[in-house]
Amino acid sequence: MNIPRNSIGTWNRRGLAVLLSAASPYHTGPGHRMRGTVYPIPGLMKQTADGRDDERAKDESFARDAIPWMDDVYRFALSLTRDPSDAQDIVQETYLRAYRSWHTFDPGSDCRRWLFTICRNAFLRSRQQNRLEVEVDDGDAEAIAAAREHRAMIEDGTDRLLASVDLGPALDSALAGLDEPFRSAVQLVDVEDQSYEAAAEILGVPIGTVRSRLFRARRQMQQRLRVHAMDAGLRSVSGEGENA
Amino acid sequence: MPDNIRAIDCQNAVRQLWDYLDAELDDQRMTEVKQHLDTCRHCLEHAEFGQRFIQALKRVRDRHVMPSAVRSQVIAVLSAAGFSAE
Repeated sequence: MNIPRNSIGTWNRRGLAVLLSAASPYHTGPGHRMRGTVYPIPGLMKQTADGRDDERAKDESFARDAIPWMDDVYRFALSLTRDPSDAQDIVQETYLRAYRSWHTFDPGSDCRRWLFTICRNAFLRSRQQNRLEVEVDDGDAEAIAAAREHRAMIEDGTDRLLASVDLGPALDSALAGLDEPFRSAVQLVDVEDQSYEAAAEILGVPIGTVRSRLFRARRQMQQRLRVHAMDAGLRSVSGEGENA
Repeated sequence: MPDNIRAIDCQNAVRQLWDYLDAELDDQRMTEVKQHLDTCRHCLEHAEFGQRFIQALKRVRDRHVMPSAVRSQVIAVLSAAGFSAE
């Protein structure tokens, strides 16, 4: 579609060019129509299937805003269910619910966060898990303990052992070994790059709770890393070491 | 530059270390922790390890790819509900 350079135009919701004014050399007078430009004809839009247009607009925005997050939603679902086939069910339910309630989604707001929240609720429903948890929010204590344990790792050499390896695979398995509710905190903040505030909203808990779950999870994974390094270190010490 | 930047001790810095690495502190506290790390080798070691830890965790994302069968199944379910993906 060609909008003449000097004209002021805008695109309405349906992607039709709406010419507000046409100061263009091609405009020769009232009633002139430019080739290739679509004009909304008053009354006509009402007569054409309004419902069909609305449906198409809904599907377009859903395809544009919601569908692209499917990988992320699957990854989150998998972290919750720890079973690929259960994860698939959760993703299906998430997208179906999202589609059916798309009219409630505020366009321009964080769609991925919205989808994660639906996903979490779908997971809870699947597990009948609405247990009332009393958690102690003590992220500070976890942070301090983690530093203390890292200090011990420096002193016993495991920190050095870890310095030259890719932490990825070990963290991967450490993450899978975490229990809920700690795993989802790490999944959201560390893997899916959500802020504490976003994770709190998705999980339906206070920020302090996210923080303490997250820090405790990281500390547990750090402990796994230490064990992993010790195993690797013992193996290299008992075998032929290059560096005596 | 925020006012009232205080020198903080190691306990204080360590308590906020994860928050700092996650950029979840306000400007003043971010600056205070950073200043402490600039002058404290011990805490800097913790920060560097923590940074590596978090960076490695972020890459977990890249290692987990959704099977294409899941995508087609979800689209099929949506289509049955009226969604048209063109």
